[in-house]
Amino acid sequence: MAADLQEAGLASLVDTTISVITNDGRNIVGILRGYDQATNLILDECHERVYSSKSGVDQVVLGGLHVVRGDNIAVVGELDDDLDQQLNLSQIRAAPLKAVQH
Amino acid sequence: MLFYSYFKTLVGKEVTVELKNDLAITGTLHSVDQYLNVKLNNVKVVNEAKYPHMMSVRNCFIRGSVVRYVQLPPGSVDIEILHDATRREARG
Amino acid sequence: MLPLLLLKTAQKHPVLVELKNGETYNGHMVQCDSWMNVHLREVICTSKDGDRFWRIPETYIRGNTIKYLRVPDEVIDKVKEETYKRDEKRPNVFNRGRGMRGRGGGRGEGRGQMDGGGRGEGGRGSGGRGNRGRGQHQQL
Repeated sequence: MAADLQEAGLASLVDTTISVITNDGRNIVGILRGYDQATNLILDECHERVYSSKSGVDQVVLGGLHVVRGDNIAVVGELDDDLDQQLNLSQIRAAPLKAVQH
Repeated sequence: MLFYSYFKTLVGKEVTVELKNDLAITGTLHSVDQYLNVKLNNVKVVNEAKYPHMMSVRNCFIRGSVVRYVQLPPGSVDIEILHDATRREARG
Repeated sequence: MLPLLLLKTAQKHPVLVELKNGETYNGHMVQCDSWMNVHLREVICTSKDGDRFWRIPETYIRGNTIKYLRVPDEVIDKVKEETYKRDEKRPNVFNRGRGMRGRGGGRGEGRGQMDGGGRGEGGRGSGGRGNRGRGQHQQL
């Protein structure tokens, strides 16, 4: 049962690299250091992946520690290192994600 | 708690979650919580050419508040049970 | 580790706050509360497009207008230190009645998760597991 309940939350992602999609359409990659019931997140060593339809993905180092407010979060993805290394970010062309419209 | 309970019965099934930013993600429903946050495994974004933003993500957590639709597997709804449960919920 | 605990510990440190409307506020955090409302001093406000600035001696920001905050790296170490110190002072408090064993290092974090989780488990246990089979009826 204990294992079961842990699975529902973000516990298993703590201290791993995650990719967060925020409600304003940004994509932030960082290490999850903590979270709470409201999905507020503590992200360490953040960088932003800026997508563009004209050029490749730009990685902008945000650095440091961020607290991202839960109501600004859409998706938290486990970043798979192998898959990520296969990506050639400079070749990817895509418009930035749209903002969430409630 | 009706929908929470209902979604729990779908754990292990393949669903497509459409978000309020138009992103649609297909994956195996791994878990759901009281806020209807869901976790999907082995995800695949619908129309990945247009949305390559999650190509290195295999498993993800989706906040319930940004979900627009959940597309369910055909035949996953037992209408009898749902009717029953809905009435019970309405009665309180 | 809980985000709000990190923010509490960031008091007296310089922080950056970005609001949902895109404005950013740089200043020293005087105080914050459990709704993430924050009180800043010696603030520089930057407009959404980043080309207008205002100096503001003092500002109070309602938590729900915040998109994210940036805090200095060392704050996370301070949280760990303080958690550790507190646990050293009252080593038994958290072991009582919680079924927790062991002490030391990661306890601060562990406790947070157990806390949230524990409640979840209770709720789920009562409605969920026991009732499967004839169950689904009951459960729904």
